[in-house]
Amino acid sequence: MGDLITAKYSSPDIPELHFTIDVNDKRYQTTNGMTTGPSEHVLNAGQIDRDRPSDPKLLSGSSSDVEPHYTELSKLRMHLTGLQDDINIFLTEQMELAKKKKIKLHSEEEEKRIDEEINELLDGGDGDEEDEDEGK
Amino acid sequence: MVNLNTIKPKNNRNYYLALGLEGSANKLGVGILKHPILPSHESGDNSHHCQAEILSNIRDTYITPPGEGFLPRDTARHHRNWCVRLIKRALEEAGINDPRNDIDVICFTKGPGMGAPLHSVVIAARTCSLMWGVDLVGVNHCVGHIEMGREITQAINPVVLYVSGGNTQVIAYSENRYRIFGETLDIAIGNCLDRFARTLKIPNAPSPGYNIEQLANKCKNKDQLVELPYTVKGMDLSMSGILAYIDSLAKDLFKGNKKNKILFDQKTGEQKVTVEDLCYSLQENLFAMLVEITERAMAHVNASQVLIVGGVGCNVRLQEMMGQMCKDRANGQVHATDERFCIDNGVMIAQAGLLQYRMGDVVKDLKETVVTQKFRTDEVYVSWRE
Repeated sequence: MGDLITAKYSSPDIPELHFTIDVNDKRYQTTNGMTTGPSEHVLNAGQIDRDRPSDPKLLSGSSSDVEPHYTELSKLRMHLTGLQDDINIFLTEQMELAKKKKIKLHSEEEEKRIDEEINELLDGGDGDEEDEDEGK
Repeated sequence: MVNLNTIKPKNNRNYYLALGLEGSANKLGVGILKHPILPSHESGDNSHHCQAEILSNIRDTYITPPGEGFLPRDTARHHRNWCVRLIKRALEEAGINDPRNDIDVICFTKGPGMGAPLHSVVIAARTCSLMWGVDLVGVNHCVGHIEMGREITQAINPVVLYVSGGNTQVIAYSENRYRIFGETLDIAIGNCLDRFARTLKIPNAPSPGYNIEQLANKCKNKDQLVELPYTVKGMDLSMSGILAYIDSLAKDLFKGNKKNKILFDQKTGEQKVTVEDLCYSLQENLFAMLVEITERAMAHVNASQVLIVGGVGCNVRLQEMMGQMCKDRANGQVHATDERFCIDNGVMIAQAGLLQYRMGDVVKDLKETVVTQKFRTDEVYVSWRE
């Protein structure tokens, strides 16, 4: 087989990130990925998974018990499955980070507003400044 | 003047072969279609008469447990993992050993539909195209239904009622476009029936709409309809309110809410309405609305034929009601097809795509193959008709 497959990610925050595979790692030796299965929602509803990807094809004469030898296309499918998992995990992490940032930003704003209101009350205000302004 | 014979088939053959791939919702369809070269296609509007031969028409449906709909992610996974197997089966059934030389064009659904499943199928289409060196054509799903219906029924210029899980439209052809005369303002009729089936928790196999039809057939009080909202608005209709109303009735029925006057006799507490009655009333109500707007469209364009396409089009009661309306109009005819062609399939994409291909409309850059969830029927320029 020639060059191994790779993937590249870039965004304003991350100029360039390369995804590569390690052929000896188990995650690149399966067609059934960690992140490409059925959703939990349908499994909890009683779905029986009949849409699994087919297993990789062994070369004729090869045995899955000893050291299996797969067809080139099956190797590619396995490598892609692992690479897809890596990308999915990375993108999910990025989403979680973005979510946390949003929550943090939101709570910082909220804290600032509450602090300001408390300070106003401590300074002798009655908390109805805006209404009074509107009335004028 | 339309000439469908300007693009020659591969290897100087006297016929074209198209591979059609459909996966805009929960059905994955692969079909192979053959068009012979006909002298009648050199001039005139004969695109409804291609003498199409179906070499294979294979479908696999993603079915969820009762009470559940199909989620985009899981539907896309189904299509991704079955697409290659289905293409292999379709080629084998059609007796095609060398697709590089035998297939003239690969046709795929460009939209409208669910984004993720559409993506799964277009990736397969692009891969086959690159691998075999075969041209690609992107097809509008609705136009696929119309062209398949015209070819099967030989209806020349009908008003089309397109009723499925994602679409409800009344369409008529005018000046190279399939014009939308009326449509749903909210949910599609198939969606309304499917969601009611979920409330009833009836199986999704073979299809929720079919199971509602079977329950409706068992209704013993056909002369006493449960009154439901009737929401025709000009040429359009609305079904979300009807669904919400009948859903609440079904829930009261399951809970045994005896305060509900429609469902229970207030003096004796006896149940007056069954699930079968609700299914029957829902069908009658919705179909009456469809018949009304279809008849109005026929009057507008002075048409005498109706062609029913889309998954809900297999419903025998809808065909009966439409037939009755057509019979009452002078020389009216209703055309419909069976489940092989009504329900989403690959052959219909091959039929519309092959007509496009024969008019020289092919993908020139892979950028043109980006699928889209929104793709209205009237956006397509119908070059193969006068």
